[in-house]
Amino acid sequence: MSFSMLRFISVLSVASIFNSSAVLAQENKLEQQIQPLAAHSLVLDIAQSGHTLVAVGERGHAFIYDNQWQQVATPTVAQLTKAFFISETKGWAVGHDATILHTEDGGKTWQLQMQSAEVDKPFLDLLFFDENNGIAIGAYGLFYRTTDGGNNWISEYHQELLFEEDVAYLEELKAEDEALYLSERSTLLPHFNRVIPLTNGQLIMVGELGLVAVSSDKGHHWQKQNFPYEGSLFNASEVGDIVYVMGLRGHLFKSQIQLAQWQEVMLPVDSTINAGVAIDDSTLRIVGNAGVVIDVTAQGNATLVEQRQGENLVAIAKDTAGALWVAGNKGLIKLEQK
Amino acid sequence: MLDKFVNGIETYLFRHRAFVIFLFILTTFFLGLQASNLKMDAAFVKNIPLNHSYMKTYLKHQKQFGGANSIMVAVEDTSGNIFNANFFDSLKNVHDQLFFIPGVDRAQVKSLFSPSTRFTEVVEDGFAGGPVIPADFTTTEQGLSIVRGNIEKAGIVGRLIAEDYSAAMVSAQLMDFDPQTGEALDTLAFAEQLEQELRAQYETDDIKIHIIGFAKMAGDVAEGAKGVLLFFLIAILVTAVMVYFFSKSIVLTILPLVCSLTAVIWQLGLLTVVGFGLDPMSILIPFLVFAIGVSHSVQMINAVKRRVTDGQSTKAAAALAFRSLLIPGGVALLSDTIGFMTLLAIDIGIIRELAISASLGVAVIILTNLVLLPLVISYTQVQPQKNTAPVKENNIWVKLSKFATPKYAIWVLLITAGLYAVGLQQANQMKIGDLQGGAPALHLDSRYNQDTFFITDKFSITTDVMTIIVEAFPEACTYHSVLTQIDEFEWQVSNTEGVESTASLASVAKRVNAGFNEGNPKWQVLPRNTASLVQAVGRVPTTSGLLNSDCSVMPVYLFLKDHKAETIEVVIDKVNELQQQMNNEQLTFKLASGPVGVMAATNEAVAEAQLPMMLYVYGAVFVLCLISFRSLRATIAVILPLYVVSTLAQALMTQLDIGLAVSTLPVIALGVGIGVDYGIYILSTMAVRLRDGMPVQQAYYEALVERGSAVIFTGLTLAIGVSTWFFSALKFQMDMGILLTFMFLVNMLGAIIILPAITAVFWRQPK
Repeated sequence: MSFSMLRFISVLSVASIFNSSAVLAQENKLEQQIQPLAAHSLVLDIAQSGHTLVAVGERGHAFIYDNQWQQVATPTVAQLTKAFFISETKGWAVGHDATILHTEDGGKTWQLQMQSAEVDKPFLDLLFFDENNGIAIGAYGLFYRTTDGGNNWISEYHQELLFEEDVAYLEELKAEDEALYLSERSTLLPHFNRVIPLTNGQLIMVGELGLVAVSSDKGHHWQKQNFPYEGSLFNASEVGDIVYVMGLRGHLFKSQIQLAQWQEVMLPVDSTINAGVAIDDSTLRIVGNAGVVIDVTAQGNATLVEQRQGENLVAIAKDTAGALWVAGNKGLIKLEQK
Repeated sequence: MLDKFVNGIETYLFRHRAFVIFLFILTTFFLGLQASNLKMDAAFVKNIPLNHSYMKTYLKHQKQFGGANSIMVAVEDTSGNIFNANFFDSLKNVHDQLFFIPGVDRAQVKSLFSPSTRFTEVVEDGFAGGPVIPADFTTTEQGLSIVRGNIEKAGIVGRLIAEDYSAAMVSAQLMDFDPQTGEALDTLAFAEQLEQELRAQYETDDIKIHIIGFAKMAGDVAEGAKGVLLFFLIAILVTAVMVYFFSKSIVLTILPLVCSLTAVIWQLGLLTVVGFGLDPMSILIPFLVFAIGVSHSVQMINAVKRRVTDGQSTKAAAALAFRSLLIPGGVALLSDTIGFMTLLAIDIGIIRELAISASLGVAVIILTNLVLLPLVISYTQVQPQKNTAPVKENNIWVKLSKFATPKYAIWVLLITAGLYAVGLQQANQMKIGDLQGGAPALHLDSRYNQDTFFITDKFSITTDVMTIIVEAFPEACTYHSVLTQIDEFEWQVSNTEGVESTASLASVAKRVNAGFNEGNPKWQVLPRNTASLVQAVGRVPTTSGLLNSDCSVMPVYLFLKDHKAETIEVVIDKVNELQQQMNNEQLTFKLASGPVGVMAATNEAVAEAQLPMMLYVYGAVFVLCLISFRSLRATIAVILPLYVVSTLAQALMTQLDIGLAVSTLPVIALGVGIGVDYGIYILSTMAVRLRDGMPVQQAYYEALVERGSAVIFTGLTLAIGVSTWFFSALKFQMDMGILLTFMFLVNMLGAIIILPAITAVFWRQPK
């Protein structure tokens, strides 16, 4: 019986500790924590940082690969959608709440450069041309530029990417109602999903409603392309001399680097394709929703490599050992060689 | 004064013995009739501590979110592929059949065939969707391939369809009370209907039906409990043989058995009278009543025989035996009764029922075996004992009596102390709750547990669900801050050891939001914009169980890896910690609903009840001993061995991986309540002699001669009565059987070895 009594006494003392901590812990501000499941929860991008990989995902999670994925702390809980490194040490990550993070040590520590819940739009991609000059793009035409390594980010509005009928509508509105004009203006541009530099020095940007745009001056001016598909495009890739754009419901298009004519590549699935990586000089491996992993050759032959049950794959990257990593709703996963 | 009173009763009863026996027969007839109306009864609410704070939360929201009382029927195609006409026909039949079984909440029957099972897919201009099984569904190859596509789009693989497409699920919630009549659900009848109308009707070589859920388990437990009848017969037979060896007389064998069975009939009859049914757990009580009855009868025939051997007439001997045993026997039985009554303090319906039926049964024995038996014996002709055995017997008693000498007593006490120390150390590691997987009441290889393992294996479903209820304010789910808190809570809990996966409105709304954004995982967030948030939340129907109609209540479901007490404890601790951080005036996270929520409450109630229960039982035994012995020394001498033995019993539980649960909690109280009898019988004989100044060893020797054989016999009878449960189809009966057998045997040893050693120290003679 005495042991029960001991237990009883210890329960009493534990209870009193709880009471005192209850007084202390009134304020509840969300703080990011290192959690065992982080690398197995939603991860949205894997970026190359020198010899290693850095990944980002939901709740402000960031990871560094060093034989295994290690979660590192960041100063935000906003979902991070994309990371980019200009050198082994210098990099940025962007995400929801118009968040931009910066690292000087290859992703070990992160500082907040910009965040605004009021903007209420997510950044979806970013690109740096050198250590100082870069752009970040996102939903509803969100477009920011820095010329000082991210100390200052300045908004740009790319009217040239508006649809013609919207341009006319906005002109009308500007005269009548200034406030409504501004609010409409901020939502009429399509989502900018991805921007990549091509080997010929141009930039290609893809987005919502079949948006494919090209820029020859680091994104200051964009030229919208005629595109044969009106669904969303989520990513672009260059393999050899061929440029691919990919998107909703199994749509993949390819073109010579001059982008003169787009040709559809028929895929064996109708799942959305989210990302791709060159696995050799001529083969592109693409991944997407419903766990599809597909290889596409320069000739335009597509083969389903595998379909991972219950997974949506959002990113794919190659580590220095040549192994392929994918990221998605089940976290970071190494693809088995097939 | 007490003696005078007893004499008065004796004179009165024996003068009117024919009339008294007639009254007994009349009562037995009446209660026998009542007993024949006794029904098996197993209600869900009886098994849970209704006043525990978790259970208040559970009951408060049970109507909206269903509670823990659900039923799952997995229909398996043995070919491993469900896409054939035969399977879909069977599945539809099972769905429809289950829908119409009374007690099923029809709004919550879910399967491929329920209208709420829909799919949505993202297309270029928005969403497309419809029921997974289209209105014009036919079981043709084309129809099946459409359904197959829809199943994948609907994301129901793992929930309604087995991950390897070898089975499909029909699940339903049960209503504990009929909404029209207000009548409680007859769980056992329901379970029988499941067996007859689903399994018997639709199980074929190609189609297998797996059924799990509390109601089915209760049904299987009740079925298993029927095997108890056989055990009861075996117990009666073995006991009869033993009584015959003891009494060497057929009459004196039959009478104790008849009187004890009378006690059982009375007990069962009284249960009906007070409005109880027989629960699978309290079905063990008749065994105890029978065994206790027999053991007291043995004391009685022993006393009668001794007096007949001394030359008295049977009638006078019976009267004298009655007079000498009414007080010690009455005290012993009364302390049993009170010991059982203390279980009433435990706030779990089934333990209270056990307490009432056990104390009724034991109280009845006072009448049937201390009063009726000597009256009936007085009509018989008992043969005096032949003088062959005593010499040998006396030798044993002489040897045993040495335990009452200081020389041996020291050793006995030292060894006892050593055992106690080891036992205490083991007892401290005793686990709370159920320690094995599946339904703990049943063996691992039972059909029910096999079905459980099938379902948890093939589906990403676990029955080990704990639900945290989030209480907020009306329309709370349209606030970004509210859903963010829930999301954060869910994330933190999901990172707790033992939590396999989670679900809540917040995490579903995030996925819906991604769906509204072309299925792009980069939009899998809670939108800050109220319009978008409302759009996302609005897609989630209240039938999902993720929110109530005005979304002021939103449960968070935690799917655990098992329901072991340690697993539950870790999760509960984490939730407590988060509650401290996150609960505020607007938003409270409340423990707990779901099957594991119920288990958590039960575990806590059981753990909390243990100490008070022991205090009450020992308190009651202490007071009764004090009253009957009027000596503190004597009281301690009786209780100390009991305490050592109950500690050893707890150590045994640790060793055998038996957790402290609703079924094992009462065992120690029962063991102590009954175990005290031995000590009382022995010490009551010794006490008179010690008071007269007789040396301890001599007093103990005479007590042994008088009652020793009866005490040893009693221990064996009781142990045999309960040891038949080892073979029960029910795991908890087996556990109870093992523990009670141990308590009965070892308490008996304690009374004849430790007790005299203690008296040798307490009543030490000055040299």
